[in-house]
Amino acid sequence: MSRDLTKALSDWLVRGGERIGQIALAPVREGWELRHSDDAGRTDLALHLRPEAARDLANFDAQGNFRPLKTAPTLVRGWRLVLPEATAVRRALDYFYPAMTGVWLSHQGGELVPVILRETLARQSGMYRVTQKLTDADARQLIDGFCAGCLKHRLWEIATHNPQPPAFAQDTLPLLCHEACNLLIAKAREVAKQADRPA
Amino acid sequence: MSPKPDSALVIIGHGSTVNPDSSAPTFDHTEALRARGVFGEVHCAFWKEEPSCRQVWHMVDRDDIYVVPNFISEGYFTKTVIPRELELDGTVTRRGGRVIKYCEPVGNDARMTELLLRRAAEIAPGVDPAQTSLFIVGHGTNLNDNSAAAAKREVARIRESGLYGEVLNAYMEEEPLIAKWDQVATQPNVVVVPFFISDGLHSYEDIPVLLGIVGGSAGAASASAQEVFQRNPYRLRGRTLFYASAIGTEPLFADVILGQVAAFDAVHAA
Repeated sequence: MSRDLTKALSDWLVRGGERIGQIALAPVREGWELRHSDDAGRTDLALHLRPEAARDLANFDAQGNFRPLKTAPTLVRGWRLVLPEATAVRRALDYFYPAMTGVWLSHQGGELVPVILRETLARQSGMYRVTQKLTDADARQLIDGFCAGCLKHRLWEIATHNPQPPAFAQDTLPLLCHEACNLLIAKAREVAKQADRPA
Repeated sequence: MSPKPDSALVIIGHGSTVNPDSSAPTFDHTEALRARGVFGEVHCAFWKEEPSCRQVWHMVDRDDIYVVPNFISEGYFTKTVIPRELELDGTVTRRGGRVIKYCEPVGNDARMTELLLRRAAEIAPGVDPAQTSLFIVGHGTNLNDNSAAAAKREVARIRESGLYGEVLNAYMEEEPLIAKWDQVATQPNVVVVPFFISDGLHSYEDIPVLLGIVGGSAGAASASAQEVFQRNPYRLRGRTLFYASAIGTEPLFADVILGQVAAFDAVHAA
């Protein structure tokens, strides 16, 4: 086995790791407890005991809208999830923030390669090929608007890597974006199609 | 299947930015296979949802990895999009100490016929198949997709079994249209099974409207969603009609996913 993400996560928790995105983690008698960070101190939270509960908790916002972008700052409140060990925590976090623990470990090991937007757009095909016509100005506007609604730290830029290294406290597991997501590509398609339309 | 504690399984689904129904069966099958413990680890990833194909390699610990596309047929996604997004070199990719084995899509599995028959029997208990017209409904019109060919193959196989009075292909957007089911079906009972990987707008709304089992235009059934499968049988146009949910929601799909891994090993063992 080339890596052991569960062990890395366990080590981070034992060293005092207590925050990922909008989630606060804390050691409890039964193992580890996860809750919304805004629910600190609340005693009226609905208790869940299976990591799979995170799937439903992550799927909808407080208004019942589907959350295709799990790192949007719209995680529902009012729950706590108590899990026995790091394997279950890893599984739950993969529902709350898909792939983010693994991306963090890759980043720590120097194995995370950011992909600039132009490269991501260049390989699109089919209905998304039109995104290759996206201008830098439109791309800038899109990123500034769409990505503002995401908690991930962006490691890429339009034509360069983001020179700003992520700065996170030891107790915080960072949410890292190493490549434009499909939601952004879908938005880019809308913008590029609009701009491509004959006047 | 013999245990593979040193291998990872990655199931790839399409996903949706609009609702969670598209990815739900892939997540369900992932959880089911994880619970069985055949593989050291089981993950899923999506084209339109998270985790994405671009993220999933960071989730995997093991170096021996099987990838199974949870798609009905070979086509644009399995031949172009998934290999590109996962950076696959072909059927076997060796990279950075990893061996990635790209299996065939679930729809190619020989047991698909058995699952369709099972779903058809479940939805219409006590109904004589000999007096039943069975429709396998595909999307149609997707030029890059062989889903129509896969649906035709399944119809041919079920027909060969001789169980049903008749077995018919139908599509949403091309002939033979599912909207004309009553003009085509000759039997008093009609069973309709969507040959899709997941439930969603097509199975909740579009096909029910085309069948005439919900009124109005597409969108009319949105409030009922799952209810459309629970109101069987529908009595209309002089027939008794039973409508099933998408075949991909069948829990036995987890076995089909394992079947694709076994098929890969059988071909590449040498």
